[in-house]
Amino acid sequence: MNEDLKKTLLNPIFKGNPITVLVLGICSSLAVTVQLKGAFVMALSVIIVTGLSSFIVSLLRNSIPNRVRIIVQLVVVAMMVILVDQVLRAYAYSIDKQLSVYIGLIITNCIVMGRIEAFALGNKPIPSLLDGLANGAGYGMILIIVAFFRELLGSGTLFGLRVLPASYVPNNLVILPPMALIILGCIVWVQRSIQKDLQEK
Amino acid sequence: MAKNFFDKIRPTFSEGGKLSWLHSSFDAFETFFFVPNRTTRKGGTHVKDCVDLKRLLIIVVIALVPALLFGIWNLGFQHSKVFGLGWGFWQMVWYGFVKIIPLYLVSYIVGLGIEFASAQMKGHEVSEGYLVSGFIIPLIVPVDVPWWMLAIAVAFAVIIGKEVFGGTGMNIWNPALLARAFLFFSYPSKMSGDSVWVGGLSKALAGGTPWKGGEVVDALSGATPLSHASLDGLSAAGTSVWNLFLGDIPGAVGETSVIAILIGALILVCTGVASWKIMCSSVLGALFVGWLGNVGGVTDIPCWEQLLLGGFAFGTVFMATDPVTSAQTECGKWIYGFLIGALCITVRLFNPGYPEGMMLAILLMNTFAPLIDHYVVSANVNRRLKRAKTV
Amino acid sequence: MNTNNNVYTIVYTTVVVVIAAAILAIAAMALKPRQQANIKAETISQMLTAAGFSSKEDLAKLGNDQILAMYSDNIKTAFLIDAEGNKTDELETEVSSIELQDNLKVENKNIASGNPSLPVYVFEKDGAEINVIPCYGAGLWGPIWGYIAFDADCDQILGAYFDHESETPGLGAKIKDEAWFREQFKGKKVDFEHPDNPFAIVKGGAPAGDASKVDAITGATMTCNGLDAALDNWFRAYIPFLQKKAGAAMEDDCCGEDGCEDCDHDHDHGHDHNHQHNHQEG
Repeated sequence: MNEDLKKTLLNPIFKGNPITVLVLGICSSLAVTVQLKGAFVMALSVIIVTGLSSFIVSLLRNSIPNRVRIIVQLVVVAMMVILVDQVLRAYAYSIDKQLSVYIGLIITNCIVMGRIEAFALGNKPIPSLLDGLANGAGYGMILIIVAFFRELLGSGTLFGLRVLPASYVPNNLVILPPMALIILGCIVWVQRSIQKDLQEK
Repeated sequence: MAKNFFDKIRPTFSEGGKLSWLHSSFDAFETFFFVPNRTTRKGGTHVKDCVDLKRLLIIVVIALVPALLFGIWNLGFQHSKVFGLGWGFWQMVWYGFVKIIPLYLVSYIVGLGIEFASAQMKGHEVSEGYLVSGFIIPLIVPVDVPWWMLAIAVAFAVIIGKEVFGGTGMNIWNPALLARAFLFFSYPSKMSGDSVWVGGLSKALAGGTPWKGGEVVDALSGATPLSHASLDGLSAAGTSVWNLFLGDIPGAVGETSVIAILIGALILVCTGVASWKIMCSSVLGALFVGWLGNVGGVTDIPCWEQLLLGGFAFGTVFMATDPVTSAQTECGKWIYGFLIGALCITVRLFNPGYPEGMMLAILLMNTFAPLIDHYVVSANVNRRLKRAKTV
Repeated sequence: MNTNNNVYTIVYTTVVVVIAAAILAIAAMALKPRQQANIKAETISQMLTAAGFSSKEDLAKLGNDQILAMYSDNIKTAFLIDAEGNKTDELETEVSSIELQDNLKVENKNIASGNPSLPVYVFEKDGAEINVIPCYGAGLWGPIWGYIAFDADCDQILGAYFDHESETPGLGAKIKDEAWFREQFKGKKVDFEHPDNPFAIVKGGAPAGDASKVDAITGATMTCNGLDAALDNWFRAYIPFLQKKAGAAMEDDCCGEDGCEDCDHDHDHGHDHNHQHNHQEG
């Protein structure tokens, strides 16, 4: 794989992670990370939506009239999100009930539009697809880390399977969104301690 | 003699000495015993005042002692009453003492341990800000709180509440209240409800069997006066206004006795350590909303009695007045205090989900204190600009 | 081609929107049957759990088709009733065209306004009838609802299932998660003598022996109060029907083919007997 493509794929995972570095898409990462199952499905959804939207917009990039650029992007993203939502409702109803409005809110997730504007409009389709997939994956990775701690400490289970002994008293606070934000903050803390060039002076 | 000891071992902890990496800890202990002899730079006038931050905090601790002592006796008294044990005075004091000492140990060991470690890692001196917070925490949590829960809560309060923001003096929220809030939201069934405020009661109720020969008296379930929320309820539980004032009722160790708290308030105001403005305006705010509640028919407890219930008195005197987290401007202090009192009673009366509102009121106003100060200062600036223009 | 001229812009956006709409319409139509089956299966699982046919966990492992089939196999009849307890409409129970009245939110409003259309699902288990009725109300943070299963003469409760949308996990959510809460309802009765409070969820523990009270969940006072209000509301709306059922069942029991000479009708329950038998008080 040539260097550029590799950079496109790897950058959003760590150095350019959309949540911890670009600070995009925070709200859904607080709401859906109560359980690993939900976080997983949400991550997959965002990966698919971001990737495919970037791909489609990149295909159209030379034909979109400038004045309606944002609107056309929005239509594409909305279409993808609704498709994902309908498929989930048909094939994974219980998870869809848990995630309820947050799947629909992927339309408002800044990562999707952000990558379209920043990358897809100026690059070829295949790199755009990869960029979208990678950003979605970076987002998903953070989601899964936060959900790991929240489900473990909040219910003693992982993916619904009991991991901690039954005598563990579950901590209710980690199930609430504020603690999720604190956990996210701790992840940013850890990342910036390791990658010191991310610290602003 | 102690000074010689410190002088002798100081070289080991200074630059180049063997244990110099522990110099922060050494510093902390030395200054605990002696006023630091470092002076400001040469030239200019210096003020030599032996009242530094440590001394200030020790005065607050002294002000807390009456509430602590009464609380220790009260723990034994409530336990004896509910279980029908008929104890004598010293038995009650011993029971309370034995119950509260482990909480203090956990609070200080964990809290100071984290503070020392952070100071070492950053290379700063250990600041003594935790002295007061660590003293307050065991006074506001249920006495039967499991020690590991307390340890986690203290760690949370110190790391996320203080160290992350820059240590003592930089925190936005009152750390003792953060610990309490953490416990309240993390383990709600163990933190609220009727049985947690009397020592040994929740275990006995859970076990369902008489405890140590005594039997749980049916009429006294260990409910605190706040859970009765009406005058009839209070009289049915046998709680009179004098009980509320003296404090021989179930509740958190430090919060029940208004008399003891008032003694502490006197100490703080006379030494100038805490702001009487905040205390007064908080009382005014509470009275105001309590009166609204009476007028609106929401509760029949008179507004002045609201001041004696629950954690209001303790919070107003010791936690709302915390100089770091409260408003700094004099005018701001009036606003800040008033809103704390008003919010506390509002949560009590109008929110069915929370019987006690002081913790939430103070934490919320901590968040707004800088905003209040900002507006006070800019209003002042605007006023002076206008005055300058018209001159 | 100049991509910025007006005609092009309008034509382009129209084309994009039409294509997107078409794709979505096709997808929605293709997936609709599955989605509706999902919703139906969910409601049916709740009913079946209340009636005691299976547990929610076990039902979750079955596929939609199996759950729908289970419903069809075990249901005897399903119908709608009005405020007086009279049957107004039948609901289809064939597996391919199951009809359910699951718009509980609307019916909740209709109860208040006085002309509801309430569902009753009559199952048959081991020869005995089980009547299942829903309830709906406001919890602390969002709606809560459930299904209550009665025995054949609508006297005793056989089981219950409750669900919620957004109650506090570990507290209010216990109405769904904790089996002991549901188990309490078995054997309880609706208090016809006190239509203003036909059922109660009591904080601090129900008095032992009271057949119309159960214990509330510690720390979940608001949710339990909401559930109490929902149960009161819906039981009250169903009381005419339940009493009719109880009366009719009593008749079936004792009024055999020879008439009622041997019967000893007990008129002390205060039930409204709405029947046209002429019989001598025996």
